[in-house]
This record gives sequence, C-alpha cells and structure tokens, in this order.
Amino acid sequence: MRLITLLALLMGLAAISLSCNKDQPPAGKQLTLAIVSGVEGDALKQAALDYEAEKGVHINIAQFPYANLFEKEMIDFNARTGAYDLVMMDDPWFPTFATKDFLTELTPLLQKRGQNGPDSDFVGASVAVCRHPYETGALYALPYVGNSQLFFYRKDVFAKHGLNPPATWDDVLAAAKTIQEKESAAGMYGYVMRAAQGNAAVADFMPIFWSFGGEMFDASGKPTVNTAEGIAALEFMLQLGKYSPPGYASFNADEVGAHLLQGTAAMSINWPAWITKFDDPAKSKVIGSMEFTNLPAAKKPGQAEIGNWLIAIPRASQNAEAAMDFLVWATSAEQMKRSALRGNPPTRRSLFQDAELVKKHPAYPAQLRSLETSRPRPRTPQWNEIENVFGIFLSKANSGELSPAEAMNQANAEIEKIVQRGQ
Amino acid sequence: MPKSRRSSNAGSKRGARAQTLLPYLLIAPAVAVLLALSIYPLIYSVSVSLQIGDGWGIGNFARLFSDNFFLTAMAHTFVFAVAALTCEFLLGLGLALLLNSQIRGRGLFRATLLVPMMLPPVVAGVVWRLLLNPNFGAINGTLKQIGIDTESLTWTASPRLAMLSVIVVDVWQWTPFVFLVLLAGLQAIPQEPYEAALIDGSSRWQTFRHVTLPLLKPAILIVLLLRTMDLLRVFDQIFILTEGGPGFATETISLYIYRTAFRFFDFGYAAAMSFVLLALTNLISIFYIRFLKHESRA
Amino acid sequence: MSRALRYLLLVLSLVAALAPVYWMFTISLKSEVDQFASPPAWFGFTPTLEHYYDAFVTRSFGEYLITSAVVAVGSTLCALVLGTFAAYALARFRLPYDLDRRVSLWILSTRMFPAIVTAVPLFLMMRDLRLLNTKAALIIVYTAFNLPFVVWMMRGFFDEVPRDLEEAALVDGDSRMGALFRVVLPLVAPGLAATAVFCLIVSWNEFLFALVLTQTDASMTLPVGIAGRVTQYEIKWGVMSAAGAVAIVPILVFAMAMQKYLVRGLSMGAVKG
Repeated sequence: MRLITLLALLMGLAAISLSCNKDQPPAGKQLTLAIVSGVEGDALKQAALDYEAEKGVHINIAQFPYANLFEKEMIDFNARTGAYDLVMMDDPWFPTFATKDFLTELTPLLQKRGQNGPDSDFVGASVAVCRHPYETGALYALPYVGNSQLFFYRKDVFAKHGLNPPATWDDVLAAAKTIQEKESAAGMYGYVMRAAQGNAAVADFMPIFWSFGGEMFDASGKPTVNTAEGIAALEFMLQLGKYSPPGYASFNADEVGAHLLQGTAAMSINWPAWITKFDDPAKSKVIGSMEFTNLPAAKKPGQAEIGNWLIAIPRASQNAEAAMDFLVWATSAEQMKRSALRGNPPTRRSLFQDAELVKKHPAYPAQLRSLETSRPRPRTPQWNEIENVFGIFLSKANSGELSPAEAMNQANAEIEKIVQRGQ
Repeated sequence: MPKSRRSSNAGSKRGARAQTLLPYLLIAPAVAVLLALSIYPLIYSVSVSLQIGDGWGIGNFARLFSDNFFLTAMAHTFVFAVAALTCEFLLGLGLALLLNSQIRGRGLFRATLLVPMMLPPVVAGVVWRLLLNPNFGAINGTLKQIGIDTESLTWTASPRLAMLSVIVVDVWQWTPFVFLVLLAGLQAIPQEPYEAALIDGSSRWQTFRHVTLPLLKPAILIVLLLRTMDLLRVFDQIFILTEGGPGFATETISLYIYRTAFRFFDFGYAAAMSFVLLALTNLISIFYIRFLKHESRA
Repeated sequence: MSRALRYLLLVLSLVAALAPVYWMFTISLKSEVDQFASPPAWFGFTPTLEHYYDAFVTRSFGEYLITSAVVAVGSTLCALVLGTFAAYALARFRLPYDLDRRVSLWILSTRMFPAIVTAVPLFLMMRDLRLLNTKAALIIVYTAFNLPFVVWMMRGFFDEVPRDLEEAALVDGDSRMGALFRVVLPLVAPGLAATAVFCLIVSWNEFLFALVLTQTDASMTLPVGIAGRVTQYEIKWGVMSAAGAVAIVPILVFAMAMQKYLVRGLSMGAVKG
C-alpha cells in the first residue's frame, strides 16, 4: 500500500511541476515578432518598442541569427503553432513560404482598413518580391528593410593612388592589385569578400555572375550555371580573391564588415545597413573615408542583388488583425522615417528623396538607384536547398579545392537533382 | 541472530502475489517511458522514411546510393572518429601511465584535468572558435609572436585544416575521459603480477605488454566503445566551430541529417539516413560488446 | 622516466586543459577593443562586467539559465525515481527467462542511439502533441535520455549492498518496499547523489534536442542561447563568453564534489573508479 501511495504522490508531483512549466502566454494584448539578429533586425526591434509606447500593445521579440531564423520560422509554420504573429524574412525565403501557403494574404486585411493595396510610394522592386507569383500575384508581405547591394570603396585610398571610382569589374581588379601592392606595408588588402558556404558566398557572387552574363536558369527552368559565362565569373571571383584577406573562403558579413571598419580592406560589396557603422567612432577606424556607389559592370550593366527584409503574418497567427495594425503602422512613411534616421534603409521612394534623410545619409541617391534597378535571386521555392548547394561549390572553388569549371559543373548537376526532386 | 526459516512470504496469499508482481511493477514505468520515447520514435521514423513526395515508396533509401553528399558525410564521420579516437586513446593512456605512480598533488591533477570534458560541448566549441580565429584569436596571435607566419593558418576556414581543427577540439575535450577511466583501470590491477614479472626479470616494455595491457583490456574496451559511439554521432562542437564548412569539409553525418530535416524540411530522407546511421552504430557496438564478453570470460 | 620529466608533462597537460577555458573567461571580461588586440593579452587588461550585464540583464540569458535549471532538475528527479525503482528490482530479483539481464541490456542499448536518430521523429511527435516550445517536452525527453544511465549506475550500487541487511528487515516483518526505504536507500545515498549530479550535468549540457524542440526565448536552454550568438553579422564574443562562463560554473562545482564517483559514472557503471 505504501508503495502505491508513494508512487502516486511522486507522479502527482511530477505532473504538477510539469503543468506549471507549460508555457502559456499571459492573457492580454500581446504580439510576438520574430526578427533577425544584427543590424537589420535591430531597427524593427526599436520600432516595436515605439509601437508599444504609443499604443500599449506589448510585442514579444524573438531574435535569431540568419540561418536559425529561417529554421524557426519553417518549424513554426509547419507545426502551425502560431508562436509568431509577425515574422521578418529575407526576400529569398519568400517563395518557399508563399508556395506552401504559410502566410496570410494581406490585401483583404488592407481592404478592411480602407486601402486597396500598398500605396505607390513603395519602391516597385520592393513590393514585387512581396507578391506570389513574383510581381504580379497576391500580396503576402510588406517590405521593411530596403536593402540592395552597394559597392563600398575607400575614396581616400583611391585618391591617394590616383584611381578613378570603379565602373567595371576589370577596374575593380586593377585597383585591388594597385592598392595591395602599394599598401601592403600598412596591412591593407585590395578587396574583401565573403565566401562561406550558403547565403554568404552566393550573395557576393551573384552580381559578378549576372554582370558576366550568367544566368542560373534558362527559360524552361533548367539550371545553367556552368555556361562559359558562369565559369568565367567564378574564375574572376577567384582572381579577386587573391587580393582578399586569407581565410575569406569562410568569411561571413561579420568578417567583411570588420575588415572594412578596421581599414584593412579597401573595397567590397556590402549592404546599406552597414553604412552608419562606418561613422561610429566606437567601431570604425575609417570615419568619413568610405564611398558608396553602384555595382560595377562587365559584359552587362551592373545589377545589385535585392535583399529586402519583409514582414509577413503567418497563417496560424491568432492575432492577424492586431498584427496588421502593427505592420501598417511600421511601414507608414512617418514611422519608416524614424527608422531611417536610425540607419534602416527605407522602402519608400519619398524617404529616399527626403531632404533631412539625404543630408544624414548622402548615399541615399545611390541606394535608390540600386534598389530600383536591382534584381532578385531566382524565385523558386527550392531556393533554400539550391543556395545551400551552390554555396558549397562556390566555397570549394574559393578555397582551392575544386577548379572553377569543376565546381560549376558539379554545382549544376546537384542543382539539377534538386529541381527534378521538386517536380 | 539465527536466520528464521520464516521467509518473506509469510502472510496472506494476496501478500504473496503482490510480492511476485512487485519487481514488474517497479520496472514497468521505466520501461514504459523508454518504449514511448526511444522505441516508438524509431517505429514512427520508419513510416516517415517511407513517405516520398505525396505517397509511399522506398525512394528515400534509393536516393542514399546516388547522394554524393551523404557518402562524403559518412566518410568525414569515419575519418573524424578514427583520428580522434586514436589520439585520445594514446594520449589518455600515456597520461594514465604517468599518473599511476606516486606523485604529489595527484588528486589536484585529476580534478583539474576533468574540466574540459565537463563543459557543454557547445561552450567548448565557442572557446576554440575564439582561440582559432585567424585574425584575432590567441593561437595565431601567439604563433605570430614567436615568429611563425600565420598567413595560411586559417584553421576553421581552410579545407585542409578545418577537419584537423575539429579533431583537436574533440581530443582536447575528451582525452581526460579516456585518461580517467584508464587510470581507474590501472589502479585496479593488483600488485602480484607486477612482482612476479619483476622476479622473472621482464623489461619494462615486456611488463607493459604482457601484464598491464591484458589486465587493462576491459577498461580499454569500455573506453573505446563509449568514445566510438560518441564520435560517430558528433554534432554540437562541429555545429559551432564550422557548421560543416568550409564547403562541406567538416560535414558529418549527424549534421547532414539535421540540415536535411530542419533546413530543407525533407523529413523522409532524413529518417532514411538516420536508419543507416543507427544500423552502423548497432553493428559496431555489437562488435565491441562481443569482444567485451569474450574478455570478461577469459 | 625521471620524476622531473613526469611532472613537466603533467603540468603541460594541465596548462593545455585549462588555458582555453581561462581564455574564454578573459574574453568575457575584456572590452571589445581589448578582445581583438594583437598580440593577445593573457593577463594585462582592465576587466569590465559589461558583457555579463549585457547577457543576463539586457538580453535573455537569465531566462535561458532558469529554463536550463528547471529542465535539468525536473528531468533528473523523474529519471531518479523511475530509474532507481527499476534498478532495485533488476538487482534484487531473479526473473524468469533471464529477463532481468535482458531488460538491463535492452535499457543500456537505448542509450546507444545517436541523438539525431530519435530527434527527427521526436520533433514530429512533439509537434503533433503541441508540445513544441515547452519545458515539459524537454523534461520528458531528458528523462528518457537519463533513465538508462540511472538504471545502470544504481544497479551497480545496489549490487554492492549485501542482501543480509534487507533479509534481516524482512524477517522482522517489514515489507519489501519498507526495507528498501529504511535500510537500503540510506546506504546507497552517496551513489544516488552522484547519479543525480551526473544527470544534472548531462541535461545541462545537452544541445541537439533543445535546439530542435524549442524555438522561443521562453523555452530555450542556455546552450541553445549561446549557439544563437554566432550570428551572420556580428559574433558577439563577449556575450557568448560571459554566458559560457556562467554555464560552466555549476557543473564544475558539482563535478568536483562528486569526484569519487566520477569514473564509475562516466563508464556507465562498468569501471569502478
């Protein structure tokens, strides 16, 4: 008898402690927002705090690094747990989520508020990536961080060596060579790029790839990375890599930023969100020396890769209307301006032309040009896997493990496998 | 006090039946939990692995043979396991032999040597990522100070050195484990065989080979078994150190399965790969255990 | 081998074992400028507590710490209760068809599964049970994780207690369970404590299951939180190191206290240390 009582007591205790630990969110007005770690997410985080101060709705922030954020969102959407009411997503993730019907369509919610759609102040390229199918389909997100690549270079170093701002990739290579030779005593490298497998390598490679005339897929959807143009682009990347700090084959944006800020590299592709850091005395050794321009050309005109961060409402969210209220508020011109003053690249044309903002961010005209002429990565729901595989081979080529031709051929074969699996 | 012939089932029949049921009642909850959380998931996994596309089939298993990434990941796992095991074993054995004699402060040595293996593997990964950073880490910094050119020593970024780096981290963390278990094994060996060998005039090496090693075999096999199992399923520290990079150079099978399941959401294929891994670890452990049984009977 | 050489080798291995951990502690106490100083400063720097503040007050590491503690304690308690009873039964009773030996071995074999093999289906199961992002899920999973270990350790300890003591109690009219509680358990109390400490350490350090089963700040454990600081844009070394330093301290304290049973615990009871 004592045995049974004791067992029952212990089981009961365990049950009680378990149920106490079941994490029920407290009742009341609350929203949960998933954002990315780092510069892009911090702006939205601050906006959420502003919203709470103004409207009294508490917003729980879940902040994750890039790859983890994707995983968490996928898990949440798949599991329909409704853990998040609002999610931030990098635009290449959008096709995957939209195809699987994970997101709430926003137009009906906008109509309830008296709007027919996003207003025309939004930059076309930014809204285009929020639609599924691309550009023409239904609206599933609104763009918040108007990132599109810029080319960063040290204008003081260029002036010192009589170099003109680079207009083509060949200019870049020549300048990198000159700078490295002349400035090696100062420990400066001509160029810095990131080639860690995955998003890093692919994002830095695409502008080169496109300007050399490469295309990832042909009209029928077959992968074509191993065309002559594609291989030439990769060969060029390797050449540029000779003037990059060693170990770049594993660099992420963190290392690239560090090298630019420390003054140990003179050129790079990077995102506008980094611009304000260059003027921060706590972080930057190169205040006032960086210049930002559009991406260089080769066979084709330079095209930046767009990398907007979008905000969407998961279908499983229990608070869609409250979430929409925040979404519309945050993407309004007034709030976006506040965010832009803090360094967040906006997605509204009027803000890129606003006098006060342009004074603070002289690179805005270049950013707007970049954004309006930018190009998205291929809008396939399998982009995640494709980017992963493509990135692996780019990284292998950059670390010397494979020749450019081998890397591109193998990459093409693997991408082909992925595409076939998806059919 | 004389043991009474009255045995424990004095009393009613009900008491007797409760007694025979008792062991089963005591074991049942534990077995139930394990069935629910270790065995049932495996069965569930079988059904998951047989789902391909929108239907059923063995496509996931067929894919294993043509997937270069899977085969490469398996190869990496083996290379990693063999290299790390060899280093850990030799170093651990050496340390145990060193510490087996009377040394002052032995307790202190033992206590401090166990610090690395008590760390969460994730933290060990963080520690070494800090050390191995090619530009700001202490390793390259110290090497530079003594005049070595660290330009090409990019550790976790170099395809040649990355695997070495993760092996070093594992050896750093788990050699103490091997050391402790082998030391305990050494200390359990009685003095007589040594004395006998001394009388026989054996050299130190002969004593080691014919006296120490055989008596140490059970401890050695335990250590090898446990480490092999752990090495084959390595995940945590590689996840932090290199995330499988650069360019797949340090991708082990656990990482690849994880990525397939939670980045690409291909649970079916991940489940199929898991079975291969499971079958492999089972085979290896059966192999070891057979050795163990053989030894303990000898 | 000369004593001097012996000592030298031992001291070298000590330095090799401790230096990296010490380095992490220094990073947690250095300002960002100092962290990237070249040559690396092992000693001469002014310490700052800003990273600890950043980690535990500004960010959510305090929450992760509590979650880790709750999950570790909860799962250890459950595993101890279930496992000790089972261990006692397996140690003291001879079951038909050699069941006691077979069940023992079967329990041991579940410990041999690579974590990823059960992580994938457990994720799917927890998803369907709506238990993702809860501490309960982790407690349940860690209990199953720790059970085989508890059974094997405690069985070893029970085997060392001579049966006469229980027999005497039974003869005096006690029931089996009474004998267990009044006579045997007090004798294995140190072993029980050691086993508990091991379970706490294993649960505290666990990474893969926590990574897979928890996505929210409220449910993440410390290792997952630390891993999350390795971002794509800014690796917050200071915060990571501060969290890492705090993650280590309880373990070290416990492990030092349980040194006597360390080897037995590490080898799953096979080698008596």
